[in-house]
Amino acid sequence: MQDYKDIIAEILIDEKTLQKRVKELGAQISHDYDSQDLLLACVLRGGIVFMVDLMRHITVPHALDCMALTSYGVGARASTGNIRMSLDLQTNIENKNVLLVEDIVDSGYTLFHVIEMLQTRRPKSLKVCALLDKEERREISVPIHYRGFSIPNKFVFGYGLDLDEYYRNLPFVAVVDLEKYKPPA
Amino acid sequence: MQDYREFIDEVLVDASSIEKRVAELGAQISQDYAGEELLIVCMLRGGITFTADLTRFLTIPHTLDCMSLSSYGVGHYASSGNVRVNFDLMTNIEGRNVLLVEDIVDSGRTLAHVLQMLRTREPKSLKVCVLLDKKYRREVPVDVDYVGFDVPDKYVFGYGIDIDEHYRHLRFIASADLKKYKKEADLNKGLSEK
Repeated sequence: MQDYKDIIAEILIDEKTLQKRVKELGAQISHDYDSQDLLLACVLRGGIVFMVDLMRHITVPHALDCMALTSYGVGARASTGNIRMSLDLQTNIENKNVLLVEDIVDSGYTLFHVIEMLQTRRPKSLKVCALLDKEERREISVPIHYRGFSIPNKFVFGYGLDLDEYYRNLPFVAVVDLEKYKPPA
Repeated sequence: MQDYREFIDEVLVDASSIEKRVAELGAQISQDYAGEELLIVCMLRGGITFTADLTRFLTIPHTLDCMSLSSYGVGHYASSGNVRVNFDLMTNIEGRNVLLVEDIVDSGRTLAHVLQMLRTREPKSLKVCVLLDKKYRREVPVDVDYVGFDVPDKYVFGYGIDIDEHYRHLRFIASADLKKYKKEADLNKGLSEK
């Protein structure tokens, strides 16, 4: 694996800025759900780091659950078609306040389908918290109630987001220099 | 939900001790696997917090995967029977270095089962890193390669570990005084009666 320093085009969001924003989001969420109970639904695997940091700043009672999603389609269809829940929530969300925690939203298709599917279970409320929003890439309209950062249409990694499964542990979000990056064999 | 201050028995491991120890474990693991690659397997859901923090201290190339297990049994049999895999690894571990990351090990039964199962896939190596070790509860021998802290046989919560799904976000690990803890259902009952 290449050292991340050799493949970084730029640091898009540094550690301090990230942590400050995550704290603000936690405070905002705590304020909005004041005296209510909340279920944080983390979308694996990219959302893990964000969620762990976020929940530490949430002061309202909250539980934690995980979902994993894959696509039925291949190629171009993969990102528009139905999605497969490879890990469903353990919690019955009927009448619960649910907050989906995602690392990044781009086309919006996956999120759109998850929301559709979860709404059929009649949660009390269903909102979305995304660390990164690549608005330029949006192909279908989805609500994002809590947004960490709007980012340009660049190939990003770090802070939970991987490059071919690596580099999720970096404390910042960076842009890859695709001319220097060599994917692992 | 009850404020944890109402039922806390004592803080077993404070936030700065956890942070320091997690950093040490990260450094130790990075040293032990120097020049190798590693797959970190996060055991859902209790292991999430520990995994997220531990990986921040890893300096070796590593990837991340998750597993979710439950037990076929109920009650007393819950931890003695076979283990059901709710969510299996996306990664094929054949020929790879694998490190399971768990919040806590007590009887060791679940861990022993999952290790047995994963060994059939012939990983290059298979090790275990747990944050908390309740040694006095061990019923089957199981090798734990990295231990954060030994803890007494008390009901613990915080830092990823829940009581009825809550309190995972706390930065420290505490023991609960169960006589003072009111189950969620009782609280709800109290509310609806008002």
